[in-house]
Amino acid sequence: MHASVSNKSSFCHALLYCCLVWLLPALSYADTFGVEVKNAEIATQGNSYVLSADMDYRLSARAKEALQNGVPLYWDIHIKTLQHRGYLWDKTLVNTSVRYRIQYHALLNMYRVRNEGSRELYNFSTLSAALDSMSTLRNFRVLDKALYESGERYAVGIKVTLDRDALPLPLRPIAYTNPQWYLSSDWTLWPLTK
Amino acid sequence: MAFDKIKPPISLSILVLFGLILLLLQLMSSATQESSELSAMYSWLLLVNALGSVVLLGLVGANIYSLARQLKKREAGSRLTTRMVSLFVVLALAPAAIVFYFSMQFLHQGIDSWFNVEIDRAMEDALELSQASLDQRMRWHLRQTQQLTAKLVESSETLATLEMENLRELSGASEMTLFSRQGRIIASSSINPGDILPSLPDEHTWLQLRQNAEYVALAPVREDELMIRVIVTVKGKEPQYLQALYPVPVRIADLADSVEFAFVRYQEMHFLRHSLKLSFSLALSLVLLMSLLAAIWVAFISIRNIVAPVKALVKGTQAVASGHYDQELPVMAQDDLGFLVESFNEMTHRIARASDETRMAGIEVENQRAYLETILANLTAGVISFDAEHKIRTANQAAYRIFHIHVNQFVGRTLLELVQSYAELAEPLKSIQRLLEQADDIWQQRIAFLGSNGRQELLCRGTPLFSQEGLRVGAVVVFDDVTDLIQAQKNAAWGEVARRLAHEIKNPLTPIQLSAERLQHKLADKLTAVDAEMLQRSTTTIVQQVEAMKEMVDDFSEYAKPSKKQTVDIDLPGLVQEVLALYALKSGVKFKADYDTGLLMIKGDPVSIRQVLHNLIKNALEAIDAKGLIEISLHRVQKNNTDFIEIALYDDGPGIKDEQIEQIFEPYVTTKVKGTGLGLAIVKKIIEEHGGAIWVDTSRKVGAGFIIQLPACNF
Repeated sequence: MHASVSNKSSFCHALLYCCLVWLLPALSYADTFGVEVKNAEIATQGNSYVLSADMDYRLSARAKEALQNGVPLYWDIHIKTLQHRGYLWDKTLVNTSVRYRIQYHALLNMYRVRNEGSRELYNFSTLSAALDSMSTLRNFRVLDKALYESGERYAVGIKVTLDRDALPLPLRPIAYTNPQWYLSSDWTLWPLTK
Repeated sequence: MAFDKIKPPISLSILVLFGLILLLLQLMSSATQESSELSAMYSWLLLVNALGSVVLLGLVGANIYSLARQLKKREAGSRLTTRMVSLFVVLALAPAAIVFYFSMQFLHQGIDSWFNVEIDRAMEDALELSQASLDQRMRWHLRQTQQLTAKLVESSETLATLEMENLRELSGASEMTLFSRQGRIIASSSINPGDILPSLPDEHTWLQLRQNAEYVALAPVREDELMIRVIVTVKGKEPQYLQALYPVPVRIADLADSVEFAFVRYQEMHFLRHSLKLSFSLALSLVLLMSLLAAIWVAFISIRNIVAPVKALVKGTQAVASGHYDQELPVMAQDDLGFLVESFNEMTHRIARASDETRMAGIEVENQRAYLETILANLTAGVISFDAEHKIRTANQAAYRIFHIHVNQFVGRTLLELVQSYAELAEPLKSIQRLLEQADDIWQQRIAFLGSNGRQELLCRGTPLFSQEGLRVGAVVVFDDVTDLIQAQKNAAWGEVARRLAHEIKNPLTPIQLSAERLQHKLADKLTAVDAEMLQRSTTTIVQQVEAMKEMVDDFSEYAKPSKKQTVDIDLPGLVQEVLALYALKSGVKFKADYDTGLLMIKGDPVSIRQVLHNLIKNALEAIDAKGLIEISLHRVQKNNTDFIEIALYDDGPGIKDEQIEQIFEPYVTTKVKGTGLGLAIVKKIIEEHGGAIWVDTSRKVGAGFIIQLPACNF
């Protein structure tokens, strides 16, 4: 009886250990990669409220390797403006996004960043310079002043996601299961005040 | 029933399901082609297919669980289902597993075969070649530009502006710009006159320029257009920078682009090799899993449908085996099993009909038997049947009535065994047994014996029973109690005799008497005294004897004449008291009377009954010689569901000899010196006329005893 109990408990321990061993890398890397919205500022410009934000892209080893091997990565910077409603869910006033593509060019040994909306192209000889180019958002219009009603509460949210469905097909199942590919940030919200 | 009608046929559902699965798998397969529009849905399709597999797995699991439960309960058809399902699974799994294994092998080998060292090297070399080619061109343009600077050294800004167009055309550059040290545009010329603002180097370029005094690099202007940007220092008092943008010839640019595209594609594939294998394996596994699970599930459904009639048949057979013949199984299909079910239904119908007929026949036989038994039971004649060993098989009520023993209780025993329990019946039983053993044909015999009710006479007829093969299987004995009949015959005969005697004898008696008296009268005077005295004596004797004879003849006629009874209700105790009172004065005789309480009434002629009592008491007095005890008791008894009043009369005289008991009630049987021998005969006659019986109580050892039973009067 005792033997079986101890066997059982040792089995449990082993299982727990295995889980920990499997999770540890994920836990330890958790801070070393992923996108983070560092700061944001809301200002007025003309008739609108504008958002300026700084993001920090830290790629995982796996993502870097993929990029080095010519896999393009697509990033979406989602921006939304919310109006709080006490009795219902928040009303979304503005919901827009900016899409970037980053790809390595072997011939030129360059990283090329393309704004998918404006089709603008930028070339960088280093990865960090390329990532930096995507990390600043300046004077992005979030709300018309005319729409602002005093007494209401507004918030501006920003989120950066890696579009995993734009990855090459064979990589997608892995991207959905491997934490190395969990690079998207969470929503970060700032209150919008007059 | 209505639900069945609107339910689509199962085969259609299965077809639809398979179609759906095929469509999903095809969609997934198409989505794996990168160029396909479906590729965006790849993840969703994968998820849907995986969910479908899980659902199918659940269905199969539920089926297996239900089958296991049926097996545990040993339900009909469960073992057949298990065997068929296992067979199907093995048959389906084996080739699928083989195909799967080899497909995986081919897949991995195929993907691996795309990549090898030679192609790796060739790709890298091709890229390097492109880079070298572009490099060479860049260096050439650098040298060319450096040569051009000589013309600009120490020239004024105005001159430089004029010279710029020249230099540009000379060098073949598409754009040429002169910058001051601070980055200000001094002069600019473009092949495209519309370009007002020249292409400006970025900060990074400036940094490099200041370090190396020259800069050359490929600049992608647009998506598929390459430029060589060369910046060199124009030496002078105030150093200036000359930037020239040279277009890369379209052919070279295309080639380089193509090489790069191929290289990148190859690199990407190389990098994705493992993911590719995984992804293909996943898709293949999903296809296999889903189709197998669907096949197994459909197998479960179809096998269940196939086994359903078998199951019904097993249940039906079990029901028939346990005696429920009213089984009607539904015919589900017009195939062999349907035919089997139809045959089963027909069989059960026939069995049910046959069983009904048997039951009806049984009831009929039973009715017949009961009818015969009723007839037998109500026969007045006793009927006993015997088997081959002369053991009693059946006996009717009358047999009991005649023998006063429950012959029914002795079924299976022989008559000789009965003798041991009923010694008084030894004589008739032994006689019958002997006749049973001896007779080979119908026999008839009259058997007389002394039963508990006195002397009884039986008329027995026996018939041996033979089987169809001629073997003796038993016998039937029918017997009638003819005691009363014979007695009646005897009585009738005696009555006739008495009547004739009375007639024949009484007629001459009066002349004899008259003649004797006349002789006396005529001759008395003429004779001597002695003779006269003798004559007197003789005449007196004749007259007395004639008187006696007259009396006797009167008795006879009394006995012979039919009774003229006046029936009234008689209170027996009163009557007995009345009669006893006449004898009460006799000294030396004690009377003891014992009556039951309550009414003891009979219907009868009081004169006759009184005569009966007188005769019996007179007999008793004579027997005890006027000294002793006479007991009379009156009791109410029940015999054959009829109430009787029993009069028992006992004396303590010498009793009746055994040999006389049998004939004591017959006329002219007497033990007395005096008497006609008609007293008891008359008593018996009267009693029988009243529907009663009289017999000598043989159980009494002291003195004589008579028992009379008369039907009681019921109020």
